[in-house]
Parts: sequence; C-alpha cells; structure tokens
Amino acid sequence: MTLTLSLRSEPPARILAPGLVPERLRGLNASAVAAVEVRCGGETISVGDLFEVSGAGAEDEALVLAGDLRRFDCVGARMSSGEIAVRGDVGAWAGAEMSGGALRIFGDAGARLGAAYPGARAGMTGGEIVVSGDAGEETGAGMRRGLVAVGGRTGNGAGLRMLAGTVIALGGIGAEAGLGNRRGSLVSGRPVEPLPAYAFAARFQPPALRLQLRRVRELGLTVDDALIRGSWARWSGDRTELSRGEILIFEDEEGSRE
Amino acid sequence: MSGYRLGGAHVTDSFAEAFPMRFARLVITAATDAWALEAARSMTGFATSVIGCKCEAAIERGIAASDTPDGRPGAAVLLFAMDREGVGKRVLERVGQSVMTCPTTACFDGLPGAEKTVPLGGSLRYFGDGFQASKVIAGQRFWRIPVMEGEFLVSESVGVGTGVGGGNIVIGAGDDAAALAAAEAAAVAMRGDGIALPFPGGIVRSGSKVGSLKSKSLPASTNHQMAPTLRVQVDDTLVPDDVDAIFEIVIDGVTEDAVREAMRRGLHAAAVAGATHITAANFGGKLGQFHFPLSELRDPP
Repeated sequence: MTLTLSLRSEPPARILAPGLVPERLRGLNASAVAAVEVRCGGETISVGDLFEVSGAGAEDEALVLAGDLRRFDCVGARMSSGEIAVRGDVGAWAGAEMSGGALRIFGDAGARLGAAYPGARAGMTGGEIVVSGDAGEETGAGMRRGLVAVGGRTGNGAGLRMLAGTVIALGGIGAEAGLGNRRGSLVSGRPVEPLPAYAFAARFQPPALRLQLRRVRELGLTVDDALIRGSWARWSGDRTELSRGEILIFEDEEGSRE
Repeated sequence: MSGYRLGGAHVTDSFAEAFPMRFARLVITAATDAWALEAARSMTGFATSVIGCKCEAAIERGIAASDTPDGRPGAAVLLFAMDREGVGKRVLERVGQSVMTCPTTACFDGLPGAEKTVPLGGSLRYFGDGFQASKVIAGQRFWRIPVMEGEFLVSESVGVGTGVGGGNIVIGAGDDAAALAAAEAAAVAMRGDGIALPFPGGIVRSGSKVGSLKSKSLPASTNHQMAPTLRVQVDDTLVPDDVDAIFEIVIDGVTEDAVREAMRRGLHAAAVAGATHITAANFGGKLGQFHFPLSELRDPP
C-alpha cells in the first residue's frame, strides 16, 4: 500500500524535511515512519506529530505527501531514487541536489527548486522534477543534469549559475534567467526578455526539446501541441561564461520575436 | 524426386542453412514519411551481403508518427553483421553518412534496454567539433549535433541483439517473368516485424557458392549448379528440367522463429504466384547453426 503522509495542521515553524525521501522510508511500516524525526524551527519533531501516516514504504510506489507543505523546505532534497508525489504546495529547496528519481508537485514550489545548497557548486544532478503550478526564484540554480518542468511560471533568476540540465517553464521563465549559465537549457513557453549576456542565434525546431516536451507530457503536465511542433528562438549565453547554454523561447507560427 | 506439391510448385526436401549474426535496429524519424524513407533507403543501400558489403541491412517497416520517440513519421532499419564490433562500425558509418546528412532526420535506438550496446551518438558527436551538446531524457542520453539545418539528434548508443542471418528460399519457374513474379509475391509476403530482406527488392538473382572452381582468391563465385544457361555445360547442374529462371530471397531475422515464419510466408506466396519449383540453399549442413527444412513449412502461415 502506498505510503501516504497527510498533514494534520500547519506546523508551528518551518520544517526541514530532507529525510522524507523514498530511499530512507523504504521498508518501514507506518509506525516506524511516524517515528522518523525532522527539524521544526530549532527543535526536533516526529513525523507522526505532523502527519497522519498510512501504508508502508514500498519499493516501487510513490511516497505521497498531502497537504499545504509551504512551510516544508527541502522536500525530496538529495533524493536518489523512487518517486515523491506532493499533493499541495511545497516550500523552498524542494529537490535540491537531487540525483535521481522523480519528484512531482501537484501545486506550487518555493524558491531554489532543484538548486544547489549555499556554497555547493552543483545542484540537481539527475532525475525529474515536475511542478504543476508555479516555481519560485532561482529554480534550478547550479543544476548539473536532469529535468525541471514547471507547468506555470518560474520566479526570477531561474538557472542561476547552471552547469547543464534543463529547466522548462511552460508558463514562461521569470526575468534575469540564466545568469552564469554554462551549458544548461532554459525553456520558456512564453515570451521573455533574455539578459544582455544572451544573444539571439536562430529560430528552429529543437529536436531534443521535442523529446523533452513529450516526456513532460508523459509526466503529467499539459503540453500544447503547438509547443511540440512549433518554432523556438534560441538565445546563446551566458556569454560571460562559456556561451554554451541556451534560452529557448517559444514563438508562434507567425513569429513573435520583436 | 522427394518433396511435396504446394500450389503450382514442387517443393524439394532441402533446407536453408543459417548463421547467428548480430544486429541493431535503428528508428529514423523525419519531418515527413518521405524523408524518413529516403534516409532509411540511403542507409540500407549497398548492404546486400556481408561478403562484399560488410553488413546486411534493410528497411524493416515504416512507423506511424504516433509510435516514434519524437512523434514524427519514421522507419525502422535492421542492420546485421557477423559480430558486435562489425555492427558498431557499420552503424556508425551509415548513420553518419546517410542519416545525419539527410534533411530533418533524427536517429534513435530501436532496441532500448538491450544488454549489449555499441556507441552511436557517443562517437558521431565528434562531428560537432566541440559544439555538440547532450541531453539525458527519461534516462537515455542523446547527442545534439549542430548542422546547417539546425540540429541532428541521435541516441548515444544503440542496442545489439543476436539474430539469424542467411535464411532463404529459392524460387524457380518456366520463364524469367514468371519466376520474378513469384519471387516478388514472396518478398512482399515475407517482409514484416523482425525481418530484413537485404537484396534489391528483397530478391537476388546471382546466388553464389563458397569459393571458386578457377581462382583460389575468390571468396564466392556464381552458383553454376543453379544457372539455367549452364545446364548442359556442367556435370552437376541442379536446375530442374522445366525451369529456365531462378531467384533467391535471403532473409535475416531477429530470431530463428522470425526467419522460419518469413520463409513459410514466402514459400506459400510463391507457390500460388507462378513458381513451379521451390528449394532452399545450404552448405551441406555443416557450417550453419540453424537449419530450416522446407518440409516443416508445409502448413500455411
């Protein structure tokens, strides 16, 4: 049976929840999961105090977190395998430095989604993060590999100091995206003004993006056929770095650039 | 003469002798069916026999847009060689020269999850001269090679399986037109999933024997026993009295069963399409690991 953690009520302080990942809970029954401890503000609190726990940690089933988890930071951080499904919003650092598996958020995500922790060079190094709502600032900061797909918009500064990997925002990436980006791909389903460190290269139909958008659709986001078939403007940058990263911006058939 | 009657044909008591071969399946997609087929045809050109072409390849089937990795129309190609190294070299050459060069194409591994692989994009990427980029999508790595049209997308590696090469049927009739019509009908019936007919139109007219009567350096020479014009010139002719033209269809398949069933389809199609004589080619049975006796193909497909 799927391991489901349903939030009882809003926690008294911010919760650091990096322990709530499938690989740590695998094989645990409900009471063992309830006994797992997480940081709540300056204190330690057990999962059972916060959540109604049902089911057990199974090998091939998603860990379900249900409720308004906006006060929960680091959900799915450093996870390496398995799947987390969050039925609600999450706080900052969700999927930070994640290396594998799938994190699905059926709501909004906070800042630094899939990002690197302060001082670390690399953020997410593998796996897939799918957010059906919006994501906060600096989504995918320091990301090295993997996919972050956002159904709505990302906040400002997506892909900050990104090494590689892909951030897709169907509703558009926020301003100042891709500062210090080396080889990463930022994909915006809506028009956006790239930073001056980016230069327009060409309009084309990126074959890899076609595959990625189909994958995003497979992962449950609604992707318009026009995005899959249409033309994208490629902006190269960050030119103060390698200039090998890209921002891809969707253009409708008529071509909306400038 | 032993054997059996099938339709208008006498089927001899012979067998086809086949060998284990390694193969790769490539899925080529493009903006249109026509361009996908163009690339697939180019890639499978000059790939009739390992003897002269170092590989045997053919288009397996067209693939609807809904069934390809990128949602565009495509074609599946099967390429066979004697070993994995051979498959790797030939796939690399042919995708590099025939698929990457072809407008709008992308090229994917058609055997995902195979235990053994050979590099494809992992080597072709050097054509990108340092400007290439990779993406890992759903656990698989792809290479994006910048080209004048945009980008060529290609799987990092392709799976290699063990298949069967050298299945065949040999179709004879009273004149060349009738024999060709029967062979054409057989080729149409034989194509299908897991099957490659590497010769032009699936049909070979210059069946060969191993070695040569005259020259020590020739690896293969004409099958004089099956050449109707030599009927009275050689002592060991095998051309039946009422046959004046013979065609062979060579089959490479992904499994023994695929080859057997293709032979069965071809046999039955030829037998009702004008063939008067159907047999199969072998090397006496000592060389090939797989034997396909025509006597076992009597039941219709």
